[in-house]
Amino acid sequence: MKLIDIIKDANRNLLRNKLRSFLTILAIFIGSFSIISTSAIQAGVNDFIDGQVNSYGGEGYLAIASKDSFEAIENLQNASDGPLEYNPDKIQTGATAIEPATIAKLKDIAGIDPDSVQEQKTISVDYITSAQTDKKYILSAEALPPGHIKVDTVAGTTPDLNNRDEYQILLPEDYVSALGYDDAAAIIGQTVTLGVVDQYRHETKKFTPKVVGVIAPGVVSLGYAYTNTFLADDIYAENSKYYPAELKEQVFALTASYDYQNYDIATIKDELEEIGLSAMTVEDIIGQIKSFFDVILGVFKIFGFIALLAAGIGIVNTLFMSVQERTREIGLDKALGMSSRHVFLGFTLEAISLGFWGSLFGIAVSMTIGHLANTAFHAENGLLAAFPTFNLATYTIHDIINVVILIIFIAFIAGTLPARQASRKNPIDALRYE
Amino acid sequence: MSNHVILSTHGLRKSYGKRDNRFEALRGINISIKQGETVAIVGKSGSGKSTLMHLLALLDKPTKGIIELDGADTSKLRQGQLNRLRNKKFGFVFQSFFMNANDSVLNNVILPLKIAGLRSHRRRRQAMHALKTVGLESKAKNKANDLSGGQKQRVCIARAIVNEPEIIFADEPTGNLDSVTGGKIEDLLFELNRKQGITLIIVTHDAELAKKCDRQIRLVDGRVADESTNPKRRTPKPTSYFTHDTGDTDADGILNTDKEEA
Repeated sequence: MKLIDIIKDANRNLLRNKLRSFLTILAIFIGSFSIISTSAIQAGVNDFIDGQVNSYGGEGYLAIASKDSFEAIENLQNASDGPLEYNPDKIQTGATAIEPATIAKLKDIAGIDPDSVQEQKTISVDYITSAQTDKKYILSAEALPPGHIKVDTVAGTTPDLNNRDEYQILLPEDYVSALGYDDAAAIIGQTVTLGVVDQYRHETKKFTPKVVGVIAPGVVSLGYAYTNTFLADDIYAENSKYYPAELKEQVFALTASYDYQNYDIATIKDELEEIGLSAMTVEDIIGQIKSFFDVILGVFKIFGFIALLAAGIGIVNTLFMSVQERTREIGLDKALGMSSRHVFLGFTLEAISLGFWGSLFGIAVSMTIGHLANTAFHAENGLLAAFPTFNLATYTIHDIINVVILIIFIAFIAGTLPARQASRKNPIDALRYE
Repeated sequence: MSNHVILSTHGLRKSYGKRDNRFEALRGINISIKQGETVAIVGKSGSGKSTLMHLLALLDKPTKGIIELDGADTSKLRQGQLNRLRNKKFGFVFQSFFMNANDSVLNNVILPLKIAGLRSHRRRRQAMHALKTVGLESKAKNKANDLSGGQKQRVCIARAIVNEPEIIFADEPTGNLDSVTGGKIEDLLFELNRKQGITLIIVTHDAELAKKCDRQIRLVDGRVADESTNPKRRTPKPTSYFTHDTGDTDADGILNTDKEEA
């Protein structure tokens, strides 16, 4: 018997019991729909995060702090393990200063660009305002880290890090209209006023940086404004004006770039560890966001998989009924010379067909809903209107093929039970069966 | 009818069940069937005639004994070869039709050819030819279920001859039909035998139908009780062979059977 005839017959047999086949397909559909939808959301989130990372230009960037600082954060995150025992050799306040000797050692590590090693100063800006408005707004600002960091701008450029003649700032997009400008292009080249107060609130000093760029909304930038190094240094000097001299000299965080094309990050991290430092790449930072989504979506995937297993039992049930109903037909087929192998193949193909249509149905419905959701979220006032590059659901050929193959595999396994029963039928017993 | 023995059995036994529940359906059958012959296997129900037909049609394996097809021992054949043999050389007509009721007449007739793996245009042509032979070419597109009983059995005959078989096995072919319709089916089967030389092996209760065959083999309790040849049949009977065979059967103990049973 030709394979094409077996396939055609399998599909025709499914159509004989339309309602039953439909219900079985529906069960598969639920599993297929949940798995493909979860995959699509996961792909969407990952795409978006990757896009953000790319826009951040994270490769080669390292955020460095003392090992103790990272451990302190980890201890906070792992609070379920109970409080840690006191260790007098360790400073327990969390952040530990990095010694100048350690910084020198850091610069010697192979792969790290010694010129890129820079102190990351936490700066604090009280407010921002402009000539166009009377209102003052709060602003979170950060020195733009050197190296490969890029910022996705909707207008203008990134600040010139080496420029020590002019204060420069990059503002998030929402500040454009708040500061009284019509659009991003209008604010470029204008000066804004930053109010900076020292930590003891003795006096307020005003800085008037030039706006060189407007940042596209995104997850990585999280609404931060970026300043050039010149501006950051002076704001920090103002912030720390009344710090004790000792504290002023202390360094808590560093940024550096490494040669990511020729050096393995794991080796560099090990070497940093030896001198008491810990480092995070952009991928590490993003990885935390990703793993959060992965856990949630993983749970949904498990639900989908359970639904599929239930659907698999549905397939077994449906096909067992078919074998029962078609006993005489199977007997006739075998009497007329059909081999057991072909009978087996016929039933497994029915199972595979159920799986195939169920998975396709699930994918089609999921894609339709995904498309509608993407459109709705991107509409004006939509949930994701601020993130034009973020598609909630992204369907990749890879995911689609994987889901279809997974479901067909489950269906096949489910189908082998009834198919085996059918193929073992003795033609005479089958023909006698009433 | 030629002198070529197409099908023969030697000491054929078949039993079902084990130990205390053992049931001997056939207790040593020796028969020979010639190419082009029409043979009726008769007997009461439970006499083993259906079992014999199933064994002859290679649908089942004997517990003991040999079935030779064209002089070759069929027990030596693998399952795949048996399947192909049945598919190519045999045709089957059953009492209760066994059709896919919701399928078209044509598709029902095509089934053996589909199993054989023929190309679709060729099997269509062959199926239409078979339907023409039974006079139902106009019903090819009809649903099998919409036909009358007689028409259904004609479709089954078309299905049985579509692969141009050497032997047709018919199990009570007229059992479900009224006498007029049954008569037509009988005529059709004998015509196929006459015109195309197809060997007919018919299992039947119907004495009238049995009489029309060249030979009747009557089974009683799993043994050949007697064989009678029909002198009115057009073909000369190969006396020597049958005499010998009948003797053989007797030697195996028809007359002793009753004693043994008692």
